[in-house]
Amino acid sequence: MRKLLVLLSAVAMLAGVQSAMAGAGGALKMVDIDNSDQARQRGAEIVVSTCMMCHSLKYIKFSDLSQIGMTEEQIKYLLEDQDIDDRMMSLTPIEVRKESYGKVPPDLALMAIARKKGPQHIYTLLTDYYYKDAEEEETDNHLFPGIKMPDAMAYADAESDEERAEIEAQAADVTSFLVWAADPSAESRRTIGAYVIVYLIILTTLLYFLKRRIWGKIH
Amino acid sequence: MIKKVFSWVDERFPLDEMIKHELTEYPVPRNLNYMWSFGFLAMFVLVVQLLSGIFLAMHYKADVGMAFDSIQHIMRDVNYGWLIRYLHSTGASAFFALIFIHIGRTLYYGSYRRPRELLWWTGLVLLLLLMATAFMGYLLPWGQMSFWGAQVITALFGVTPFIGEEVVIWLRGDFVVGDATLTRFFALHYLFPFIICAAVAIHLVALHWVKSSNPSGITLHAKDNIPFHPYFTIKDLFGLGVFMIIFCGFVFFAPEFWIMPENNVPADPMVTPPHIVPEWYFLPFYAILRSIPDPLGGVVAMAMSILIFLAMPWLDRSNVPGGAKFRPGYRIMIYVWFLDLMLLGYLGAQAPEGIYILLGRIATFIYFGLFLMLPFISRREERRSRVQGLPREAERLIREEQEELLRSEHYLRRENDQKELKDIRKRLEDES
Repeated sequence: MRKLLVLLSAVAMLAGVQSAMAGAGGALKMVDIDNSDQARQRGAEIVVSTCMMCHSLKYIKFSDLSQIGMTEEQIKYLLEDQDIDDRMMSLTPIEVRKESYGKVPPDLALMAIARKKGPQHIYTLLTDYYYKDAEEEETDNHLFPGIKMPDAMAYADAESDEERAEIEAQAADVTSFLVWAADPSAESRRTIGAYVIVYLIILTTLLYFLKRRIWGKIH
Repeated sequence: MIKKVFSWVDERFPLDEMIKHELTEYPVPRNLNYMWSFGFLAMFVLVVQLLSGIFLAMHYKADVGMAFDSIQHIMRDVNYGWLIRYLHSTGASAFFALIFIHIGRTLYYGSYRRPRELLWWTGLVLLLLLMATAFMGYLLPWGQMSFWGAQVITALFGVTPFIGEEVVIWLRGDFVVGDATLTRFFALHYLFPFIICAAVAIHLVALHWVKSSNPSGITLHAKDNIPFHPYFTIKDLFGLGVFMIIFCGFVFFAPEFWIMPENNVPADPMVTPPHIVPEWYFLPFYAILRSIPDPLGGVVAMAMSILIFLAMPWLDRSNVPGGAKFRPGYRIMIYVWFLDLMLLGYLGAQAPEGIYILLGRIATFIYFGLFLMLPFISRREERRSRVQGLPREAERLIREEQEELLRSEHYLRRENDQKELKDIRKRLEDES
């Protein structure tokens, strides 16, 4: 029992170190990730119509959106000049984007796992815009001061709490979609994982009793 | 039929004898606890890493323009590619966790002491090989931390007197970490595991010559040894089951726990991450590196932090047998050292500023100081045990060992072990 405690505390310390490494960062807002197809589809629509003006998601094809329950018609509705088998690349030429922002805006396919507490980071960034001057001309971001990205969701323009709540819901949908995009196999991984763990627990229990039986001979 | 095949083989290859000698009649102290399962577990993870690695290599592209994308190709397009990749990335961390516990057990129970010095040294060579393999493997995903980690660590070799610059260029194959570095690291990352396998074979030959140590640290009377199979095969298999539950828990439910978010950003030589942090298993050594103000001194201290283990058989010359169990002074020392190691691990993850610099220096001082104090600790301990006497259990074990030595010319003589084992087996059969 004592050994188990020592082992557990060692694991806990390790986890502490790892989370201390992952921690830090500004004040992130909490966000509930809605894993439903509906939320992801709403998010996908916003991402294609708004984010993809400048950002790409190069590891996702439009046809992959069928994995979040979109029909071919729904997907085709999102397309402009692209083919359904094309990767989700921004149609704005790279030079134009580079000129506007000083660098090519980062790819969003892995964004949910490419930042500390990725989902919260995305959600907070989208809903942290404010006008820094009284004339309401220039926006800035609390999480990322001096950010080049414009207030794409028009959060700073929101005038009432209802409007803000609506944008926050949209930002949460975008987050849900990007979480899926970063790791499309997550759901099948967890499903298989549950079977694997149950199997291993049964096997290990049997091994334990077999061990006791074999060792019983020499006690 | 089967009997015929086996006798055909046995005429040409000592299969039957090997099974007897290494498994069914290989004597193991019956008092081993689960701490003695970690060597087997590490060997299992080595096999997992080899197999998953071979399949990853079939889909991976070692090219700076394609490496990062090919990982995502594995994750998204290859059938069960995500499983293979997460097994491999989680396996690396698991390997180190198991090896650290394995080494911690060796230190705690004094298993490095005579006659197991060579076993201990081959194990340390394995640790160094493992570290080199892990370091080179970490470059392959070509993420931000891969690139900058390799950049920092290869730059360390620049402190080599006189030829530092040339050594760094020779290692990287270029002036900076680039395509040449990536391809050679891939080639070596594929080669090293086979060297590790050979070193494991040597480690096992040495083990089967001197036999396992045990928690008392005193060679047990032959009647207290039992055959490896079936007693320890089933014990290790149960241990494997427990390990697999934890391991698969991470693989299937939290695989990104072991992958730093920065490494999901493609390598960019123009953008330095705010904190360049190595993987968790290098953190204590990284903390030692940074706590010495002089670069050459830091690198030497980091190398010494592992090489000093080699000196354990000389530093620890106590006349009290075994490890921490019968030695109160050594027990306190080893616990303080374990805590210090964890503190260093924590400090390695922090930015080197303010209080962390001072703490790092103190922890480094304690780390080396404890090793160097060991001869004095042992002497005090011996004086104490001369006054108070050893615990009754230790006295009994030593008496039994000496009786045994009187009866056999040398307690390592195989013929003797085997004869006695046969007696034990016969006795067991009679009893049951």
